[in-house]
Amino acid sequence: MTDDSTRGEVADTGSETPPTGDRFPAQEILELDHVYEALGHPRRRYLCYSLLEDTQWSLTDLATTIAAWENDVPEHEVAANQRERVYVSLYHAHVPKLVDEGVIAFDDATETITPAENADQVLAALEGVGASLDSTQETHARGDTGDEER
Amino acid sequence: MVIRVTKNDNRGTTSGGDPTFDGDRHWQQAAQRLYEPDRDGGLTTAIVFAIADAADVLPSELTSPTLYETVDVAGIEQAFFSSHTDVTDRNGAGSVDFRYTEYLVTVGSDGWIRVHERTEPETV
Repeated sequence: MTDDSTRGEVADTGSETPPTGDRFPAQEILELDHVYEALGHPRRRYLCYSLLEDTQWSLTDLATTIAAWENDVPEHEVAANQRERVYVSLYHAHVPKLVDEGVIAFDDATETITPAENADQVLAALEGVGASLDSTQETHARGDTGDEER
Repeated sequence: MVIRVTKNDNRGTTSGGDPTFDGDRHWQQAAQRLYEPDRDGGLTTAIVFAIADAADVLPSELTSPTLYETVDVAGIEQAFFSSHTDVTDRNGAGSVDFRYTEYLVTVGSDGWIRVHERTEPETV
């Protein structure tokens, strides 16, 4: 009886502070949207993995690194056409997508990629996933390329 | 380099004549490419390579605008070529047209990407 009335009072005081209520869920859902959009394609995940290693990348270096991953060869063995295909998809699809999501900034003149305002939350999520699924496993789990461009 | 590109080969769906858009403007095919996901690694790459072929430049030289700004490639990829769609099932179920600079690009659910350029009406 006394317990019930105590709970009732606690609930009442809780309902008097709505700001905490609407600040929390809405904000977190928005942040998750960024994370899912950013990490929703294997090449964008590779790109974000690369930002964990180094905070500044030239688009050509990034295309070489990703082509090496995808073709399972050392970077110096990446063929020009393999690099070109990845470069084109980064330039015309994944880089502008990540710029839109606020994850990276892209300098058109120097073709340099650097982290932007939403990079921390996306990289944190990626590191969380990475605890159980590292980049090597990711390569294998990917199966074939290009079947989840969304 | 194993890129299968055929120029000015009106095989298949354009046999009825080049499509006419924008009123009386006529278009003729300048390049076509069959999208092969395993080789191309994504529809964006296949489309950019086809347009570059029509424009007679290297794909990496085709910089502005980005395809991302032009059309929802991920949406087309999902509609026509999602993971478990067998190649043999892509039988002209539909196509998407969009403009990229002076070109008209058609992506068919059969995997053929066709790039058209304008011709003057009197030359047709």
